[in-house]
Parts: sequence; C-alpha cells; structure tokens
Amino acid sequence: MKFKYLGKSYNRPDAISKVTGKAIYLDDIRIPGMLHAAILRPEYAHAEIVSIDTTEAEKMPGVVKVVTGKGCHYHYGDNIKDLVPMAVEKVRYIGEPVAAVIADTLAQAEAALEKIKVEYKPLPVYIDARDAMKPDAVVIHKENGEYWHLPTLKPTPGTNIAHTYHLKKGNGVDGFKDAEVIVEAEFNYPLGSCAAIEPHGSIVWFKEDKTIEVWSSSICPFIIREDLAHSYGMPVSDVRVRIPDIGGCFGYKSDITVEQTVAWIASFVPGHPVKWVASRKEDFTSTLIAHGIRSRMKIGARKDGRLVAIQNEVLHTGGAYADTAVNITIAATHNSAGPYEFEHCDLTGYTVYTNTPPVGAYRGYGHQEAQIATERMMDLLARKLNMDPIQLREMNYLVEGKVNALGERMWKTHGDLMTCSNMVKEKVFSKPKPLEDENYYYGRGFAAAMKSPKGAPFSTKGCYMKMNIDGSISVSMGGAEVGQGLRTVIQQVAAEALKIAPERIRVYTEIDTQYSPYEWQTIGSMFTTQGGRAIVRAAEKLIAVLKNTAAQVLKTDVDYLEYDGDYIYLRNDPDIRVAVADLSRGYITSDGITIGEYAHAVSDARLPRYANPDENGQGSLGVNYTFGATAAEIRIEKKTGKIIVDKFTSVFDVGQIINPKQIRGSVMGGVTMAVGAALYEKLDFGEDGRINNPQLFKYHIPTYKESIPMDIDFLETPDAVGPFGARGVGEHSVIGPAPAIMNAIQDAVGIDFFEIPITPDVMKKALEARQEKK
Amino acid sequence: MAEKITFTINGKLTTVEVDPEMLVIDVIRDVLNLTGTKRGCDNSVCGTCTIVVNGKATKSCNMAVKKIAGADVLTVEGLAKGTELHPIQKAISESGAIQCGFCTPGIVMELYGLLEEKPDAAQNEIENALNKHLCRCTGYEPIRDGALMAQELIKKRK
Repeated sequence: MKFKYLGKSYNRPDAISKVTGKAIYLDDIRIPGMLHAAILRPEYAHAEIVSIDTTEAEKMPGVVKVVTGKGCHYHYGDNIKDLVPMAVEKVRYIGEPVAAVIADTLAQAEAALEKIKVEYKPLPVYIDARDAMKPDAVVIHKENGEYWHLPTLKPTPGTNIAHTYHLKKGNGVDGFKDAEVIVEAEFNYPLGSCAAIEPHGSIVWFKEDKTIEVWSSSICPFIIREDLAHSYGMPVSDVRVRIPDIGGCFGYKSDITVEQTVAWIASFVPGHPVKWVASRKEDFTSTLIAHGIRSRMKIGARKDGRLVAIQNEVLHTGGAYADTAVNITIAATHNSAGPYEFEHCDLTGYTVYTNTPPVGAYRGYGHQEAQIATERMMDLLARKLNMDPIQLREMNYLVEGKVNALGERMWKTHGDLMTCSNMVKEKVFSKPKPLEDENYYYGRGFAAAMKSPKGAPFSTKGCYMKMNIDGSISVSMGGAEVGQGLRTVIQQVAAEALKIAPERIRVYTEIDTQYSPYEWQTIGSMFTTQGGRAIVRAAEKLIAVLKNTAAQVLKTDVDYLEYDGDYIYLRNDPDIRVAVADLSRGYITSDGITIGEYAHAVSDARLPRYANPDENGQGSLGVNYTFGATAAEIRIEKKTGKIIVDKFTSVFDVGQIINPKQIRGSVMGGVTMAVGAALYEKLDFGEDGRINNPQLFKYHIPTYKESIPMDIDFLETPDAVGPFGARGVGEHSVIGPAPAIMNAIQDAVGIDFFEIPITPDVMKKALEARQEKK
Repeated sequence: MAEKITFTINGKLTTVEVDPEMLVIDVIRDVLNLTGTKRGCDNSVCGTCTIVVNGKATKSCNMAVKKIAGADVLTVEGLAKGTELHPIQKAISESGAIQCGFCTPGIVMELYGLLEEKPDAAQNEIENALNKHLCRCTGYEPIRDGALMAQELIKKRK
C-alpha cells in the first residue's frame, strides 16, 4: 500500500528545543520555595538497623528536616507490595535509602548527611540467586508470601523465592523421550545498568490543599499517581504527576523507582516542593538495575534437526525487592524457547530475593537474557548434529502456522522470519570470511531474534485529538518521549489517518495526569503498535464527528459523504462540499445558529485479547511479535584478546516503516547497547554486596570510537494490530548481538562462551587456556 | 566566603557573588538559570556539561568559577540568534543525532569549540572531539553525520 506521510524521514518535532538547550528535563525544573533532599545509603548490603542518631545533622546550617523510615507502616508496589520508601528495621541492599536531609540547598543537605550516625547489625549477604535459593539461606523478607501480590504470582513463604512461574507445553519434560540428540548448558547474563545519560530524579510537593504534585523522570505517571494515592489514602484525582522531557530510559525509568522515596521525604515538609536528583553513583546503586539471569537449558532434537523438547530453568537475581523483577522473570521464561517451535516445553522461572538493588526493566525485557541461551544452544546443537547452524534454525523457525511455547499460533501478520534470515545469510555468509592473519582471528556468528510486548490486562494507551479553528490538529497522549521518537510517530500516523499534513499536527510535549489521556506505561516497544492504533481509532471518531455535522450542512446521509482532509463532499459530486475547518467548532450557519459538535475525539487501544497465563503458564501473553535475524562479523586481536565487531547486520520485519531515519537510529542504538553488554558492561558486585564500579569511568558504556559499522534492513509484512501494518521494534535490536558475537568467537577460535561480558582480559585468558590444552 | 566574579556569558557581562570554589556548572545552572548545560555524571566523563570558554570547549563540572573570571563564556543558549539556528545546531537537529537529547548540548558546544576555530578540521580531529561525549541512544553514526554536515555548512558560510 502506498502512504502519503508514512515511510518518510520527517524531522523530530522536539529536535529544535533539544539542540537549543531549551528542552526541560527534570533537573531543569525550578519551583518557588523548592527545597533539596540528599539521601543516606547504608554501610552494609544486608543488616538490621539498630539505631539512627540524627541530632548533629539537624543542627547543620540550612537544614529544614531530617527524615528516617521510622513510623513508615506502608508497603507499595505494582505487582508485589514488598517495597518501602525508606528502610525501617533493616536494609536489604547497598543503595537503599536509610535517612534523608531536606535543606535549602543541595550542598547543605549533603553536608548534614555526613553527621547522621547509624548503628547496624550485619546479616549474611546474597548477590546471586543460586546462593539465595539454598535451603539454609537467611530469609531477606520474613513477610514473603504475606505481601499483597497479583493473583498470578506464586511466592514461596519462608524462602527467598518471590515468584515461581512454570510453563508446560505438550508433554513438558516427558517430551525428551522423543529426542535423539540432547544438548545442555548453563548461561549467565549478569547484572547491569541502563545507564541513561540523564540520572533519575523527582520533585514531590505535598500541597497545603492536601493534594500532591509530582514531577518525575519517569515513563509511568499514571502508575505513580495510583500508587501514591493508595499509600497516602487519597483519591487518585488528588495526585497530579507531570513528566517533562526524559534524557533516555531504556527501561529503568518505568515502574515506580524513586518517586515513593522522594514522596516520603517530602511528606515531612508539607507546603514545600522537594527535589531529589540521583548522583551518577546513586543512579547505579539506588535505582532499578537490569538482567541478572542465569539459564540452565536443555534442548532435545531428532537426528535430522527437528526440535522436539526444551527445558529451561531461569534463576533470576531479582534484588532486594521483587516487585519489578517478577514480570521480567516471566518474560524471560516463556520467551526462552526463542523464535523456534518445540512440541514440548518445560520452562521454569524463579524470581529470587537477593541483596542487590532491585532489578527492573531494561530494553529487551528478559528476551536477550533468555535468547542468549537459545541462540548459543542452536549453534551447540548444530555442531553435535554436524549441521549448518542457520539450516538447523530454518527447519524450526516460528513461521506461519507454527505454535510458540505459550500456545499462540503464528500468523502471516506476525512477520516473515524466514526471509529476514535469508537476507542475513545472503548479506553475511554468502562470501568466504577473511583468513586468520598475523594479528587477528576472524569469525562470523548468527542469531535470530523474537520479541513480544509485555502486556497487562489494563495496558491501554489513550489518544485525545482536537481540531482547531483552522483545521489544524492538536494531539495529546500519555506516552513518554524518552528519545525513541514517539512524537514523530504520532505526527506521521495522525497525518496519515486524518489525511492532514504533518506540519498541521502539533504533538504534546509533556504529560500531565490531570490533562493527558490514560496510558498504562510507555514500555515494551508498544507505543507504535498500541498508541498508533489509538490514534487511528481517535481519527476515525473525529472524522465521524465531522461527517455528522457535514451531513446536516449538505442535507444528506453520513454514508454518502467522503472526507479528504480538506473537504467533506458528496460521493457523486465533489463540488458539493464543505471545508473541514468550517466544521471544527460545529458549523456556524449564516444566521449564527450552530449545528453539530465540536470536532474532537478520544480513543484508546490495548493488545487485543491479551490474557493472563492459564494453569500451564500458557495463554495469549504475547499477542504481537516482531521477528528478525542478525549476524556479527568480528576480529579478535591475538595480542590483547580485544574483540572488534567489523560489522553487525540486522534485518527485522517491522510491518510498515513510519520514519526511515528514526527506525535506523533506533536499531543502531539498540545494537550499540547490546554490544556494550556483550563486551564491556557488568555491575561488579563484591561479596559484601557493594558495587565496585558505580561510575561511568568504571562501568564502561560504548564510546564514539567503539561504535560499529552496521548493515540494517527491514521487511514490511503488514501487522494485524498496529497502525497501517506497523509493529514495534524499539527493543528487538538488543537481542541478537551477544549470542551472535559469542557464536562468532566460536567460529573464529573454537572457544565456547556461556557468559558475558567477554572483555579483552576474559578473551585473552581463554586463548591462553586453549594454547595450553594444545 | 562569597566573592564577586565577573565574566561574559553569551555576550553579556555578568557578575555573580558566590563561593569562588563553586563549580562552573552549578553557577551556570543554579545561579544564572541556564539549564541547557546538563549534568550527566559527577566526574567529567560524559561530556554533557561542555561549554565554550575563550573559544575552547571545556567541561564545566570540574572547574571552579574563579577560573572563569574575566573569561568569555558561551553556553548552548548563546548559539541561536532568535529562531535562526547556528549551523551546528541545524545539522545536528537534522542528521538523526538527537534522540533523548540529553547529550546534545554538550556535543554542540564541543563541535562549536572545534569547528569555529578550525572549520577544515580533519575527520580524526572531529572524531577525537566526539569521543569525549557519551551517548546511550544513537550508536554515534548520526552524530558523526551531523558533525560532518555542520562542517560543510560552516565552510560554506565563510
């Protein structure tokens, strides 16, 4: 289908404000009377708090109030209410809030913080799910099982297991009876950080009129609003949350992160807005971290390469509070079958309490953590079967008619993985790879990828649009712009749906729960699909309003009218028409009597037929899928062990490209992040639960000179859910790089890796060990 | 003890009365309310706080304000003339270099420091300059494209 406004690289509507420094981010907000908070973090990652002495701190200059968790009787959370805004009797991770100082300036607050004296009684520390799951492990939450939780979650009281998810397809583990060849291995995707360049922050103001106002660098204002209203026993309508521009998210600014803590602090100084912004160190230690997933995977196949059964045990180091980790565990578990059909699945995921910061969303949401295992396993299995690894995959892809682990049938509208795979094969593997030379080994590796959104029963997105007096359009939604470019998507999709040029469509710049339509949260690569669908539905309603008015003006039936963005006219005679702009406020007749309605419309869209898992852990949990194929072409420097990615190729079936420049940018950014995870990034925890590298000069994210050449291509098989056939691709690019690079390393030097990051040191040691073996 | 410190910022002679050890970034953001200069880390790694001092791109998060006494300081707010963007701003806003935009002001100022002084800078000089900045969104390719576009625009302007 040919579109007028889709498939074109319009510039972002927010580009000018960002390049002139005028875009307002959280830390740029100044409110008269605003105070500043600094937060004390514990000396131990797991300890009872014996006493806190704040006397000296209270005497420091500029100090307005010193706050502790004493007297805090509520827990909060969206999935499990296991969180507290500030430690009460014990601390459970090294970045937890223990006390806070509110002062006139941040410098004063920080100076006073040093005067607070805390006495602790240390407890054993667990930094890995494997240890925290042991039967003799000290329990981190004695209340585990008693906390309110979603009915779909299964905590095990008396242990550190916050949730167990199990999926059975076919005969489950008994399916291995039909397997002729079996491979088994264990993989690890370690704890990391989203590390957006803008640190988290919030401003909370308990106002004199007993309402609460919040500003936050968050992508879930409506969850924050509901959660604060619940905690403080007030109507949801009395909490107002506003979201300014956000300096990158990548996952960890979803769910509730720092807002409840800042609210707790601010609740002690009603009448004053209180601002808290994370230092870079706190952004690592005291907001949500990522990953922490081990997979013990077993795959059974026939000798001809047909996959039969998969068993996987996901051990998720969920952190000190499991509210946000549980859903990632579920996503990692049911997606660990990857883009392949297995007749029998036995997949189990454990979210385990540990003394590490809580794990939250990270671009990819459990998919790359699980599929690092699946994609390595395909290569291991191919080797055992003496088959080409891509050919093995091709035999088993989730193509049209196949059924995934959840029991969802794949339709043509889910996209064409086979063609993506063939394109990558042609681009990368159709020519011989470079031969080993004096300085380098060369290798190539493949990885397919699949991702669904992570829905929820209430995960809808609203859209409000109004037509202005000149026929231009204002669109308001609840979707958070974190850089992904949704403002452009809205502008182009609305333009296409309304047949009005994008230049005449103005998209909102901030979210305000008082005015913005409801949105669950802007996560899971869902905005284009769901938000776009909401725009199309609102546009249809708006056009219907215009036609209703036009029918009265033109004295005919609504269904005899056509709309082209400028005019509404008779189907058989376009000369009998009325200008759309003249219908915008209803139609004002010559004597001033006005007929028809004001031209505005509201709509929303959720994932159609999204369902909770059934007793087998199956169900319509994915709904919408995007598939793709990727490959890494690498060089390994013999002297240093350094891995250089010469090229990374990605092909995704995205249904319909909305903005070519932006979609390429999104994939490039995702690949770069994932190459960072594969080669450099890991939060380095000491046995005592301290993070040894909570700074950007120690936690190395890819730099300009480490950016890699990319070949990025797309297929456009129209989707059934998204607007004009478009589907989401925001996260998918992060799935392939780690396993593709690991498969390429194997191709280059015959060494199998099961864990990332593969730093030069790690690679060099492996090369030396191989040399000794020889 | 607070002292009076005078410098020119975005073409305007300005005097602030602050602790001379106060960091330039804090003076710019909190005293002068020029919030286009961003804080992304606390130890001069990310580059978001970059400003131009006496024509040279400089990180403002590790410099005491006394060091800019008498200096000519430029922040991102000083580049555009009304709605007319500086060529670097125009190029960066059109090349796809902006996603979240948090690293953008620092990168714009870095390129300003380089290209206004040396419009024919070699590609490796541009790359060395950009390597002082972290971006988590783009994968850097569109930033390089924007920098090269900016260089062309500046050359044509002269």
